[in-house]
Amino acid sequence: MPNNKLAAIAIETFALLIAFGTAHSAIAQNPTPYPSMAPIDQYLMDRSAEIALARTAAPDSISRDAEVLVLGHHSYESAAKGTNGFVCIVGRGWSAAADPDYWNPKVRVPMCMNAPAARSYLLRITKITDLALAGHNLAQSNDAMAAAVDKKELPPMEPGAMCYMMGKQGYGGDVLPHWPAHLMFFYSDTDPAAWGANHPGSPVIAVVDPQEHLTQFVIPVQHWADGTEAVAGGTHAH
Amino acid sequence: MNPKRMLRNQVCAILLGAFAFAIAHQPAAAQDAATPYPKMAPLEQYLMDRDAEIALARSAAPDAISHDATVFVLTQHGYELAVKGTNGWVCWVGRAWLAMFDHPEYWNPKVRAAECINPPGARSLMPLAFKRTELVLAGRSKAEVVAALKAAFDKKELPAVEPGAASYMMSKSSYLTDAGDHNMPHLMFFAAVNSDANWGGVQQLAPAMSVNYWYMSPDAYPGLKSFPPLSVFLVGADKWSDGSSAPSM
Repeated sequence: MPNNKLAAIAIETFALLIAFGTAHSAIAQNPTPYPSMAPIDQYLMDRSAEIALARTAAPDSISRDAEVLVLGHHSYESAAKGTNGFVCIVGRGWSAAADPDYWNPKVRVPMCMNAPAARSYLLRITKITDLALAGHNLAQSNDAMAAAVDKKELPPMEPGAMCYMMGKQGYGGDVLPHWPAHLMFFYSDTDPAAWGANHPGSPVIAVVDPQEHLTQFVIPVQHWADGTEAVAGGTHAH
Repeated sequence: MNPKRMLRNQVCAILLGAFAFAIAHQPAAAQDAATPYPKMAPLEQYLMDRDAEIALARSAAPDAISHDATVFVLTQHGYELAVKGTNGWVCWVGRAWLAMFDHPEYWNPKVRAAECINPPGARSLMPLAFKRTELVLAGRSKAEVVAALKAAFDKKELPAVEPGAASYMMSKSSYLTDAGDHNMPHLMFFAAVNSDANWGGVQQLAPAMSVNYWYMSPDAYPGLKSFPPLSVFLVGADKWSDGSSAPSM
């Protein structure tokens, strides 16, 4: 899944390595701390709390009118209708954390996707969530996702697909506990060089997932969604 | 004034078409002032030393990108190739007439907007910039430029914006506007859409803003309404291209 690879690769990127601090050592010390699925209840949240957490991913001016999905026993479910095309969710380990955190029941990553992303990228989030909740492990999910992309059951990224990940709250997993405030842009089959990503001095970080034909560009921003300043290269301290 | 419109105007006050990033707390006086540049200044005021222009153009992006980029410089008749690059990127220094057509600084001769644009952007947006510049330097009025561009689009002489078109504007030495600190490092992303809401732009506290490429007000030049949709999404950077820290927005 994209964010698994994103996290794994991101921590090798100098800028984010600084931001994420001890990520490398966390991986080295304990590569598979969650070998199997925890009881489903550990992945679920209080509905109101999940809605509120999801909305923290973007400034209120965006998230207050967004649709919100919350995790149910078998899939994400619509919990609040929106009017502006954005969709906010709280990602779990299988969709929003590094590979070792695939089954980590503590992962809670809020994100708000714009309409093009909601019509394309979100479908990958919900697909892998359905797979995970049905018991698929990381390897099985990766294979199923790649197959779904190849069979065009999952669409390519729409032009302009992006999301806000500017929430102070949440937990990114043991590998990357706290993401810095950032935006993400999603493209299909795009060379990272097209955006000058991963070059020294470039604020753009790119991660390519060849299996899913997906390129994600990550751009750190200077403020959290609530307007407080996010120190450059730093993360929120819980 | 409706708050969203007010914010949009604040954005546009220092947004120069394909150029600048907006400071959300920009003083209101900037956008309320009467048009300070009613007509084109003498051409010489828009030109600069060739070597200085090449250096300024390259300063738009980190050296790892701009070092191998193609560079164009402005001459009396338009932009011309100054350095042939190898990585598909194009660096150049935009002038004020590449702002939105109704931008109050459209004729500001001080504007020097260094930009390095990626290959999809170079292929699809630079022909437009060159065409606009040639028309301006030929003495065409804004209305005539609008009409000429419309005809060029209709005849498919100008390409549509390519997916993934993006640019760096991280030069410490650019002059983007008379407003504020005159400059701000940022990235720009282009898409063939009209909707500000698509990216959540022009929203309070949003770290990014989206604006229409062609105009601040769709009523300023009605002919622009029939232009291909084109939005610019701007994301502030916390560093200049040389790696030094930029002021917080």
